[in-house]
Amino acid sequence: MTLARRFSRLRLSSLMLVLCAGFSASALAHNPMCECKAIDAEQIKCTGGFSDGSGAPGVTLDVIGYDETILVPGKLGAGFLERQGRIGAEFYVLFDAGPGHVVEIDQADIEAP
Amino acid sequence: MSQSNVANRPSRLSLFWHKWRFHINVLLLLIPLGFMPRYFADQSLFRGDTGLGEREVGEVQVGPWSLRMAEFRDEAPRPAGPAGHMKSFNVALCDACIDQVKATYLRIGKPRSLRAAGVIFFGTPYRMGTQLPIPEKTRTDAELWITMEGWDGSMHQASIPLSQASPATIAWLNKQGAKP
Repeated sequence: MTLARRFSRLRLSSLMLVLCAGFSASALAHNPMCECKAIDAEQIKCTGGFSDGSGAPGVTLDVIGYDETILVPGKLGAGFLERQGRIGAEFYVLFDAGPGHVVEIDQADIEAP
Repeated sequence: MSQSNVANRPSRLSLFWHKWRFHINVLLLLIPLGFMPRYFADQSLFRGDTGLGEREVGEVQVGPWSLRMAEFRDEAPRPAGPAGHMKSFNVALCDACIDQVKATYLRIGKPRSLRAAGVIFFGTPYRMGTQLPIPEKTRTDAELWITMEGWDGSMHQASIPLSQASPATIAWLNKQGAKP
């Protein structure tokens, strides 16, 4: 191998190393996220997932009354899909991905339609 | 001067590089040394050599149990992407309650139920950590609620003012201004 060729290979390797370091997947936290919006006077639409962009299929999303009765039990569909629930009395929405991985949204924090 | 000599004259950049390349490389080796004190301080914080965290909050009595609490870093909540701002806290369970406590949770405001007790502490009971989401509209007089669940099914709660747990977070909230 000629010297010039060796140098060009070294340059290519250095470039690849820099690119690999720069574009490597960084460690992302995956905090639970949930957002609810009112779509009309009686219905809300909630979207849930994790902050690393992954969805939350099968994760429990309940609409719970202030007296702790579950008004609308449910689970999220595949990915970042929404679930619609009927607004009843005073309530909050609980995205429950397991102990310590919950998001609560009070009815006061839900955007009006 | 002949035509070929002009063509082969090295550029100014090349001359500079050839003159100073060894000095530049030595400088590149020296630059990381400036970051070494911060690196070793971080390593000792991660290992727990400097304590539970950068700022010790103190002992909190939670029913029959107690824990020692600390801010992992004495600083404002850090942005964590779309999930908002997070504040890290560490706790160490009391020696007597290590075998009795199943889970420890942290939340801003009183939990509505055990299901919604907040974020869970994970790690060894001698040094557990968690990241608490801090909504921007958190009131400065808010309280941190600690919920401890025992293996026997019992549950105990206690609260401390957020201002006591993290003055840096209160300063950050004041700086943010009142959010609706």
